[in-house]
Amino acid sequence: MLWYKAWLETRSRFLASLCAMTVLMVFFVHHGEYVLSPEPRRDTYLLLFYVHHYLMGMWMLCVVLLGMGGLIRERAVGASSFTLALPVSRERLVGVQIAVGIFQAIGLAALPWSAILLTTGLNGRPFAVWQAAFYFLLLISGGLTYFAMAVLISSLIEGEYTAPAVAYGLVILSGIVFANVGWLRPFADLWRYMGGDNHFNKSTYLLSGPFPWLGALASLSVAALLLVASVGIIQRREF
Amino acid sequence: MFFTLTPTTGQPLYLQLMQQIRHAAETGTLQDGDQLPGVRTLAEELVVSPNTVVKAYCELEHEGLLELRQGSGAFVIGKRRTRSLADHVQAARKLIRDLIQQLREVGLLDEEIRRAFEAELLYPPEIAKKR
Amino acid sequence: MTDTFVIETRGLTKSYGNAEAVRELNLSVGAGHITAFLGRNGAGKSTTIKMLLGIIRPTAGEAVLLGTRIADLKGSRETRRRVAYVSEDKPLYRYMTAEQMIRFASSFYPDWRAADAKKLVKEYDLPLDRKVKSLSKGMRTKLALLLAFARRPDLLILDEPSEGLDPVGIEHLLRTLVARSAEGVSVFFSSHQIAEVERIADHVCILDKGCLLVDASLDQLRQFYRRIDLVFSSAPVEDKLRVPGVERIQTTGNQMTIFASWNAEEVIERANVLNATSVQVAPVGLRDIFLEMVKEE
Repeated sequence: MLWYKAWLETRSRFLASLCAMTVLMVFFVHHGEYVLSPEPRRDTYLLLFYVHHYLMGMWMLCVVLLGMGGLIRERAVGASSFTLALPVSRERLVGVQIAVGIFQAIGLAALPWSAILLTTGLNGRPFAVWQAAFYFLLLISGGLTYFAMAVLISSLIEGEYTAPAVAYGLVILSGIVFANVGWLRPFADLWRYMGGDNHFNKSTYLLSGPFPWLGALASLSVAALLLVASVGIIQRREF
Repeated sequence: MFFTLTPTTGQPLYLQLMQQIRHAAETGTLQDGDQLPGVRTLAEELVVSPNTVVKAYCELEHEGLLELRQGSGAFVIGKRRTRSLADHVQAARKLIRDLIQQLREVGLLDEEIRRAFEAELLYPPEIAKKR
Repeated sequence: MTDTFVIETRGLTKSYGNAEAVRELNLSVGAGHITAFLGRNGAGKSTTIKMLLGIIRPTAGEAVLLGTRIADLKGSRETRRRVAYVSEDKPLYRYMTAEQMIRFASSFYPDWRAADAKKLVKEYDLPLDRKVKSLSKGMRTKLALLLAFARRPDLLILDEPSEGLDPVGIEHLLRTLVARSAEGVSVFFSSHQIAEVERIADHVCILDKGCLLVDASLDQLRQFYRRIDLVFSSAPVEDKLRVPGVERIQTTGNQMTIFASWNAEEVIERANVLNATSVQVAPVGLRDIFLEMVKEE
């Protein structure tokens, strides 16, 4: 029943984020297309490129929030002694929370993109599914690193507001670093990666080229490392 | 059937319970063959540790007042033996009544008499004999 | 009521920097008994309990819980299946309803008794579909206790269980503890309600500043712990009366008060030899024993 517990714990945050993001993205796309019509289809692709960046920003905000919570937060409200006394290993406790968070992060990218696809289709300017999938996979493979970072922060820092503040701070800091440190581009700039900037074709306004599987693997490996570190920290921690 | 255990009187609770069960048997509240409440029932009723009840029942079985039957509970037996105990108590009380009367006549206050009894009762029988 | 121990610690120590919360603790809690754990706030009771359950790691020493060493992480996990623990903060998940909490807890413990849970919900008058965060403090306390009482663990550990309960609730708590004990559950609880402890505990351990001061059966304390008030005709010498068993001597002028955990008879003999003009002996209630033992010298 650990999965059920993790779900109940994050349900409101998740559903609120999901609704807000989906509604906003649909609104952007629909309103944008309304403003654009009867402009060429190519401009829709540009619109979606920008919409994806908005989605990326919101997604990162929400996903950092999803990475909060966990045992440290439970300790602050006095519930951790029950959880820790369960006949369950700490790895399992943290592992389930992380897994639920990952599924929710994926959902937070999948549902808005599905809604975007639906909206463009209903507006008579259908967008290729594989393009949407390209954007979606870039977002997820790059963005889960941020989720992992948030999980790590929340396993280190106790304050209810301090932890997300530090996590958001790191998100912003990383953005600044990526924007200003030239030699990181284009291979180690996570934001460019997630936003699809590396694959954006200036003449077709579509993402082109093969999917960067190695980049995805690298990014996900970093995410995995951060998550393993979080589990290790909780295992050794005193409550 | 009412038992009252007082945790603060300096007497182990199981001894208090034993005394009260014996008293109940002496005065006829408990008749031969009567069944005493089960350990859990009595412990819950008195809000006292079940070990207290167990100890009391076991000691009383040892003394011959109770019989503990496997699976059924504690039953009162050996009332005849208790009756002679009751006779002893009767005689003792007469002695004590006379002694207290004497001590009062000499001028001792009741509090002083009580404290003197308590101080003497602290000596276990073996040491008292030596004095 | 066997001779086995449910809790055994040897030299258990927990330091935070220079401060020692628990100091070389050698505790033995027997199976089949109701054992009370007394101590002032900050004496180290909760720290000790948390070490036993793996929530905190000891700095030194070892402990065995239900036959498994606490250093054995995998074994301890299985042992926790046979232990019910309610900490001081009566832990619950605020985002769950009472019913969800019950379903959650019951899924982890094979010793869960659904019938008892139902009965307790009724007795406590718990609203099942209200979220924990909207329950009153008393209700939350009762729910937290229910999650332990609806089980038949080998060991029940409670840290300040009566806190947050009204007198009716406390009475129900004591009756339930007694009932569990009668069913074979070993009970280990800490409490500041000394009157309640005196009624139901078989055994008491008093902890102060991380050290075990008293480890005795309550019946023994009742039978042997005595306060002896003496008056002499001239200022008495304390050392002449410091026989084995004497815990504390207080002298004011010609009057002397002696607390003896046993051997009061020898104290009285010595007092008589020294020509005490007045000898008064009285039993000592647990509260006074506690206050005397934790007093600063």
